[in-house]
Amino acid sequence: MSSLLRKLTHLSKLSVNNNYHGIAGVCHKFMSTEPVKETRPTVRKIDHGALDKLKDFGKYVAECLPKYVQKVQIAAGDELEILIAPEGVLPVLQFLKDHHNAQFASLVDIAGMDVPSRENRFEIIYNLLSLRYNSRCRVKTYTDELTPIDSACEIYKAANWYEREIWDMYGVFFANHPDLRRILTDYGFEGHPFRKDFPLSGYVEVRYDDEKKRVVVEPLELAQEFRKFDLSAPWEQFPNFRNANPVAEDVDIKQEK
Amino acid sequence: MANVLKTTTGLTGLAVSQNPHHTLGVLYSKILRALQKIPQDAAYRKYTEEIINERANVVKNTPNIGEIEKKIGCGQVEELIIQAENELILARKMITWAPWNSLIQKPTVDQWAWPPAKPAN
Repeated sequence: MSSLLRKLTHLSKLSVNNNYHGIAGVCHKFMSTEPVKETRPTVRKIDHGALDKLKDFGKYVAECLPKYVQKVQIAAGDELEILIAPEGVLPVLQFLKDHHNAQFASLVDIAGMDVPSRENRFEIIYNLLSLRYNSRCRVKTYTDELTPIDSACEIYKAANWYEREIWDMYGVFFANHPDLRRILTDYGFEGHPFRKDFPLSGYVEVRYDDEKKRVVVEPLELAQEFRKFDLSAPWEQFPNFRNANPVAEDVDIKQEK
Repeated sequence: MANVLKTTTGLTGLAVSQNPHHTLGVLYSKILRALQKIPQDAAYRKYTEEIINERANVVKNTPNIGEIEKKIGCGQVEELIIQAENELILARKMITWAPWNSLIQKPTVDQWAWPPAKPAN
């Protein structure tokens, strides 16, 4: 079968053998086309054969779903990320789960991220695993406080609690979720604690009242104003990382039409 | 004779298929029929037809089930049936989604920039 990911597993085995012949893994210097050899024993070695196959797979997904895929990138050296428009959550996940060449049948996690400076401040991140091809990928999309995202519960049963968690922590609404309730916070809790504008100390404090013989919830009272320390130093903190590798490498998905 | 000798797939909840040639043949022809409704130049149709035709040929020309599994190399024949069922569902949904159209929504400039303070180039 001419499956991209199938070749991937073969290649990863090959490169393991190569390691014994002294060709150790290679560093992720993206600037140069020729991969730089990584010799430091404590640094994780990147399997470039598998990485090329992952890039090819990213291009393949972008070619099959040009309506939804905005960008494909390789993060942290060898992790495939597919960045999609929020309308495409269901089609992209269904494609990755059911297509012969993908078979990402397992939803490992759904994560959220809050970047208040962006117009669509929340990112929703789906981590997928393909047991068939021993491969992982990540699907990212975005939303703001009001726009609901389609719930992935019909595709992945596992999405149920993960989406409740995102709803609880960030207040992102999932449309068509069968049971969207809080999951982590206490009864009667208000607010979404993982938002960047949620105060570190919260809004209420809980203590045991000896006279009432029960736990009472009261508005927070700080004995001292929150102090702000100016911790920035006059010198540069990490000069060695001034020209560090970029966090993600783009995979070219331009269509020639 | 292979299907008579096989008593279990070894996978929980996955029963041994009695007539996999027939099941797979029907499923593959159904998928190809669903793909007919997708535009000719769509990448999804092109690639899926390629895969399905290849597998259908193997299934048609190989009477031995173990041989089929070896040639396709994607698990037991019962798993191949599940994969085909999934692809069929996907192909039918794809017709309504039409993902071969051009990009539905462009991201804002800083949407995928990281670190977020740095403007995207």
